[in-house]
Amino acid sequence: MPSADVVVIGAGLAGLTAAIAAAESGAHVVVLAKGHAATHWGPGGIDVAGIPAASTPRDGIRLLAGQPGHPYGFLGDDVAAALDWLRPHLADGGVDYVGDLDTPLQAVPTSIGGTRRAAILPAGQAAALSPWSPGERLVVCGIAGFKDFWPEAIAASLSRERIWQGGSRPASVTPISVALPGLAARHNLNALEIARRFDDPAWRATAIAALARALAAVPGSGGRVALPAVLGIRDHAAVLAAVQEHLPAAPFEMPLVPPSVPGMRLYAALRAALIRAGGRVQIGEMIERVERDGRRVTAVTAAAAARMYTVRTGALVLATGGIAGGGLVAERDGRLMEVVLGLPVEAPPVNEWLALDAFDPAGHPLEKAGIRTDTELRPVGADGVPVFDNVRVAGSLLAGQRYIGERCGDGVALSSGRRAARSLTAVPAGHAAKPGSKRP
Amino acid sequence: MITQDTTEDQSEVSRMGEAHAYDVLVVGGGATGAGVLRDLARRGLRTLLVERGDYGTGTTGRYHGLLHSGGRYVAKDALAARECISENRILRRIAPASIEDTGGFFVATPNDPDDYVAGFQAACIAADVDCEEIPVAEALRREPALNPRIRRVFKLPDGSVEPWQLIESNIADARVHGSDAWSYQRLVGMERDGSRIVAATLRDERSGSVTRITPRFVVSCAGAWSGQIAAMVNVTVTMHPGKGTMLIFNQRMTDTVINRCHKSSDGDIMVPVHTVAILGTTEQRVEDPDRYEITREEVAALIAQGEVLFPDLAKMRLLRAYAGVRPLYQPPAEVTAAALKDGRQISRAHTVLDHGAMDGVENFVTIVGGKLTTFRRMAEDTVDMVCGKLGVTEPCTTADEILPGQVPGKTYWLGHRLADHEAEGGGDAALLCECEFVTRPQLDAFLDRHPDASLDDVRRGTRVGMGPCQGGFCTFRAAGVVGERAGHAGATDVAEQADRAILGFLRERFKGTRPIAAGRQLQEQWMISGVYEGGLGVESLIEHETPEASREVVGAQR
Ligand SMILES: Cc1cc2nc3c(=O)[nH]c(=O)nc-3n(C[C@H](O)[C@H](O)[C@H](O)COP(=O)(O)OP(=O)(O)OC[C@H]3O[C@@H](n4cnc5c(N)ncnc54)[C@H](O)[C@@H]3O)c2cc1C
Ligand SMILES: Cc1cc2nc3c(=O)[nH]c(=O)nc-3n(C[C@H](O)[C@H](O)[C@H](O)COP(=O)(O)OP(=O)(O)OC[C@H]3O[C@@H](n4cnc5c(N)ncnc54)[C@H](O)[C@@H]3O)c2cc1C
Repeated sequence: MPSADVVVIGAGLAGLTAAIAAAESGAHVVVLAKGHAATHWGPGGIDVAGIPAASTPRDGIRLLAGQPGHPYGFLGDDVAAALDWLRPHLADGGVDYVGDLDTPLQAVPTSIGGTRRAAILPAGQAAALSPWSPGERLVVCGIAGFKDFWPEAIAASLSRERIWQGGSRPASVTPISVALPGLAARHNLNALEIARRFDDPAWRATAIAALARALAAVPGSGGRVALPAVLGIRDHAAVLAAVQEHLPAAPFEMPLVPPSVPGMRLYAALRAALIRAGGRVQIGEMIERVERDGRRVTAVTAAAAARMYTVRTGALVLATGGIAGGGLVAERDGRLMEVVLGLPVEAPPVNEWLALDAFDPAGHPLEKAGIRTDTELRPVGADGVPVFDNVRVAGSLLAGQRYIGERCGDGVALSSGRRAARSLTAVPAGHAAKPGSKRP
Repeated sequence: MITQDTTEDQSEVSRMGEAHAYDVLVVGGGATGAGVLRDLARRGLRTLLVERGDYGTGTTGRYHGLLHSGGRYVAKDALAARECISENRILRRIAPASIEDTGGFFVATPNDPDDYVAGFQAACIAADVDCEEIPVAEALRREPALNPRIRRVFKLPDGSVEPWQLIESNIADARVHGSDAWSYQRLVGMERDGSRIVAATLRDERSGSVTRITPRFVVSCAGAWSGQIAAMVNVTVTMHPGKGTMLIFNQRMTDTVINRCHKSSDGDIMVPVHTVAILGTTEQRVEDPDRYEITREEVAALIAQGEVLFPDLAKMRLLRAYAGVRPLYQPPAEVTAAALKDGRQISRAHTVLDHGAMDGVENFVTIVGGKLTTFRRMAEDTVDMVCGKLGVTEPCTTADEILPGQVPGKTYWLGHRLADHEAEGGGDAALLCECEFVTRPQLDAFLDRHPDASLDDVRRGTRVGMGPCQGGFCTFRAAGVVGERAGHAGATDVAEQADRAILGFLRERFKGTRPIAAGRQLQEQWMISGVYEGGLGVESLIEHETPEASREVVGAQR
């Protein structure tokens, strides 16, 4: 039977961060996940605390840490170090991230013509982060035939002052649409298909020339150009460099509705870092059964397409996401279940789950549901006592946060993922430091 | 909104000018109002219909979708049953494109009393409702998801009927005959001079501008809101608004309409509608037809009832819950305790109220009660009365003439969108809505026909966003198309329209999910809010609460 020091369940930002950190410290790590994670749905940035009241991510962490029960209460101080540690791993995987905890949160325009507050973005989106100077223009450049990016609608919306949340804004917003070679007659293009075309150097050269010609025809000069986030997937860095070189305005990508190409690049970079560190990821594995011995998990069984797969393990990191990820499931009778271990779930009563208005500024109480842990991320019961010794919980499964509404999910995932790994692989005093033999 | 009128002032003047020429004002743009408009127009009366919102946003857009055979009423209300079957036959002839000929089974489950089942077929025959008993094994072969313990099955001509296209083609026919309809025009007041209504005041719900018109006659087709209209001229019409809740499942577990063969009750009908199936309904008195809530308890009770028909129902994925309000009329003389307790005791058949005879207002009638299935007959009875009063002798022709845009004998079927899509080039005809197979050419054609359509009209007119994904991606694409067209046409409020569409879709979807929040549907709700709120910053589009939004009802739409 295969065995591991650490099995991580979940292949999102939290699970992969935990896996990389554990593998780096010498542990034999296997990641099992039933599917791809929020990375493939989200915009591909690293949101630490994009709340309206915060001026910078650091300020946001401080504000959130002050809320009773928020995971930043005990993780907030870890975010900076986790980010510094992860950044070179991502760069090695071809995605540079720009911005840090002290970068001012800026209203960044989005592909539905709104703005979102962000400070830490991949290089492809980074040109959106600087404040707009007086007279600076924005061109929104679409690709003819692509149905997930509508330049006219985006430009009409971004031309309104109120969309910019009180911050600086472009002096003008102009929509254009460009036919790219071989795509104009296609009707059902998706973002990934176009990104793959950009990976091809020959196609890329003609496409960028077409974009440059179209932009040159727009009156005015300089400024920035927003493009759909399709600038290559495997070879994104080269595509970005070429676009920056040849276009007459500073380009940035706007993330789209799923599938998210920037999110896939982030996932690929994380996965590559894990493999470099000696770990492994298996997608398509639904956890079916967990064996335990008292307060320890000893083996995990997953069901894949045609077989059952069991791994013995010394420890388990649970990073199955919250309701969005599938780690928590709401029953029709109002119970909330943690799907892998049946851990106690902290949740509001069913009649208080959701506010009346979808956009209630206070959010929905159910958003904060999750697993309560001690500061070492061990799951605890209502009495605050850990229910497992060798299990750690990381990411949006943690109780007390609104990982989407407070735009803190990525920061919580990084800091909790890394702390979970360190807590499991830390050498207890008086024990030998041989990976694989540890009993955390 | 893409406006046809160049300026607000001009449109005001031209409307005022025309308005004086209307013979009849019809209040309410549901199925009944549209039917009355068409009938009046065909009998030569120049008529204007006004609707406070989009067409079909009252009960007609929140109903169950069943083209009744009459079988449901044979035991209790033979008159209603007779009307249903006769109109069922007429609608199949004049509006085939709005009907899916699913057929219906009335099934006797082990829970249904023998005496009801024993008398059912005879009662059908007495009411002229076609009814054939078929072997249980044959029914289970056709509908394998049904409870295998059902004891008897009767086959009746029930069907599924799409309301928006039906309204649209009635209005189109009225326009051909010189009449008109305005949406987003709320009747806010009427002036009465002794025994006559002399003027009516309309408020444009989008611009706030006010129009005064002076029709010779007023017909109220305001359904559950009829009491409010009558009160404007000090006439009392006591409605008995009965809320009914329905659940939409993301699969068609049946291709046939299924009714339980028993005395009508909650959760005993399943109607296949396009790609989904709808379980209903409930009956609960509400005070205000604009404010009601759907509770989790109600949803649980409906599912428990539905399981008697489909044992695996609890495992099937729920898409959303919605509710509508029945326009039940409470005749003054029959206010009985029993009727108050159980709304179902009141006849579903309709009544035309002659406010001349009853209340001394000569040029005013109200049509109350009824069903969607019988809307044409309701209109005929109403218009007969109006014509009598106005001295018009033209006969009713609405049962004979096929509606515009309909092809004789061609009812729709589940695969029709796919077939149309294949006909347009298949795989590469730009698909905007993958669930319901709506292509860019179809959307363009709709927008060509309805240049000032809102995105909500687009949804109803094309079914964009009504399938299993519930508009997750296609609403935003539809907004993009409208934006592109409007940009080319130089319109100015494109962005506001897109905001309304996207926020409206997300709110509507949330409302539908709220009472059923669980399992996969809740997860999907979380992912969609992740995409729009987390990734795309949708909250930055919210301006501040408009009076429009705060007036919204809690019950969701279909
Ligand atoms: C659509 C979307 C948009 C978001 N946008 C933002 C944003 O803009 N800003 C922000 O801060 N946060 C956002 N979030 C939240 C944020 O992305 C996450 O909170 C963060 O990335 C951490 O995720 P995670 O790793 O904990 O879990 P997830 O990314 O949810 O991953 C869960 C993993 O667990 C696996 N899994 C679940 N159950 C099982 C099981 N039984 N067996 C095996 N595997 C299982 C899943 O397949 C998946 O791989 C968004 C989330 C979503 C869904
Ligand atoms: C839960 C439920 C299930 C049903 N199922 C079925 C079924 O399966 N089959 C069937 O045949 N029938 C069914 N019915 C009945 C059927 O839906 C209704 O009888 C029918 O839709 C009523 O149409 P209407 O045009 O009379 O009313 P409505 O559609 O309600 O139209 C009235 C209109 O008046 C408008 N209005 C109100 N006030 C004003 C104002 N001041 N100015 C301008 N406009 C105004 C409203 O906005 C509304 O659009 C069901 C009803 C309910 C509630």
